[in-house]
Amino acid sequence: MVDKIKVENLSCCYNKKCVLDSLNINVIQNEILSIIGPANSGKTTFLRTLNRMNDLDVTYLRKGEVYLDNDNIFNMNMENLRKRVGMLFAMPIPLPMSIYENIIYAPKRLGLILKKSEQDAIVEQALRDASLWNEVKDRLDSSAMKMSGGQQQRLCIARILAINPEVILFDEPCSGLDPISTAKVEESMIELKQKYTIVLVTNNVKQASRVGDRTAFFLMGNLIEIDKTDKLFISPKERQTEDYITGRFG
Amino acid sequence: MIKLSPKLSQKLSYSILFLATILAIVPVVVIIFTIIKNGASAITWDFLTSMPKDGMRTGGILPAVLGTFSIVTCAISITLPIGVFAAIYLNEYTRNNLLTRIIKLAIVNLAGVPSVVYGLFGLGIFVMFLKLGVSVIAGALTLSIMELPVIITTARGALNSVPYSFREASLSLGVSRWQTIRHIVLPNALPGILTGTILSIARISGETAPILFTASVFYVPHLPHSIFDQVMTLPYHLYIVSTQIPNMPKKIIFGTALVLLIMVLTISFMAIIARIYFRKHRKW
Ligand SMILES: Nc1ncnc2c1ncn2[C@@H]1O[C@H](COP(=O)(O)OP(=O)(O)OP(=O)(O)O)[C@@H](O)[C@H]1O
Ligand SMILES: [Mg+2]
Repeated sequence: MVDKIKVENLSCCYNKKCVLDSLNINVIQNEILSIIGPANSGKTTFLRTLNRMNDLDVTYLRKGEVYLDNDNIFNMNMENLRKRVGMLFAMPIPLPMSIYENIIYAPKRLGLILKKSEQDAIVEQALRDASLWNEVKDRLDSSAMKMSGGQQQRLCIARILAINPEVILFDEPCSGLDPISTAKVEESMIELKQKYTIVLVTNNVKQASRVGDRTAFFLMGNLIEIDKTDKLFISPKERQTEDYITGRFG
Repeated sequence: MIKLSPKLSQKLSYSILFLATILAIVPVVVIIFTIIKNGASAITWDFLTSMPKDGMRTGGILPAVLGTFSIVTCAISITLPIGVFAAIYLNEYTRNNLLTRIIKLAIVNLAGVPSVVYGLFGLGIFVMFLKLGVSVIAGALTLSIMELPVIITTARGALNSVPYSFREASLSLGVSRWQTIRHIVLPNALPGILTGTILSIARISGETAPILFTASVFYVPHLPHSIFDQVMTLPYHLYIVSTQIPNMPKKIIFGTALVLLIMVLTISFMAIIARIYFRKHRKW
């Protein structure tokens, strides 16, 4: 069991208001780590720190270190880091172009596609891996904005897969989806952990128990507990964890 | 205070609003109608394509049309790239601190400086200091400086209209900032920038004060050859034929006004068409 990501004493603040407090946590290679916790507990902040999306925010300040394969991510080139650590947002954000173009957009910009002939293969593979191929193979040239929410979210997954990252961060990827679309996204996540390391933030405790290998419970910027998912759900060590997963919180 | 019944006050406010609208429209309609009525007969192919003759009293307005055309073309090709790049820099690269806020405020306010001030500025800097003389290029530079704040402001509006989430989605895939701007932000801001540019063209085509001292002259016996030539221009020509020459046929005056009017209205109309087109084809 190799640590893919190691977080050491990470504290994050917005405008001097600290929302993560000396966090120590690791993510193991090829696992799905679920992160649960009530609103405002700092889950999104944590994810957006891992691929440095928060660096765009001027009010954001951070202390502590994060290592990806033993390399400090804060010393890395930002584009390289984000290519290795992809992120899926809560709301699907298709780019205003066709389905096909959405997928080859980043590989093209990153110089991963050299020949035009490779494009079709990359698009098909990414869509298949995101279990979307059968639904859209006949309308690759139509606008991605015209797909259903669930399809858009899987398109965003396919878009990430096309740049072949090492880690994928999911931020409540199913919050706007119906149960069937949710099941499809979960299915593809379990499929994906063969090749990728996954961090899944979810508001849905059941979802964490369904797909997570390990689960971490965040509360008010602190990591309360992290353990194998079965263990955490059957016999949590902390009282607060138990209250939260049994819905007795607050 | 007198208390009106709801029905009456409704009627009253309706009438006031209606009256205000009429007051706004009537003068425009009267002006346009007068110009068309008196000028339409002057407009012939010959009028548009020949030199003025007989001390401008007969002949055409070709040099003025071409002069205006060349100044406006030069001005827009100078001001558009600079304005768009400045807008990109201000919107996408600067952090929102006091200095940039002051710069942004200054740009918005520069758009309100009277055009004659720009004219005198152009005379001082371009015509005299840089020794460009009274020329197409001096007029174009003056107009482009005048129009720059407007272009920057419209371009910033167009850039802002592209949802921030598109930038985030692109950046999160490891695409660089400049590539995100080049391939996501700019293409989606282009409709707004284009429409704004067309309106700017319409606006500067009719401007007189900035080119009065920097590019326009009373009469040039030949068509413009180079950007260092002094030229005749439509707005200035209109001023001359209306006020500076005795015994001027009314037809020529109104004909010239009508050509200028049609030119500006056509350009504005193109902007409206472009806006409708882009709205129909917008992708999000
Ligand atoms: N860009 C920002 N600027 C200022 N404060 C922020 C910003 N983003 C988040 N916060 C604050 O940081 C705290 C943690 O927010 P965060 O989004 O990380 O929580 P979360 O656990 O993801 O919540 P949720 O379950 O609602 O998504 C909140 O109090 C929030 O108001
Ligand atoms: Mg969140």
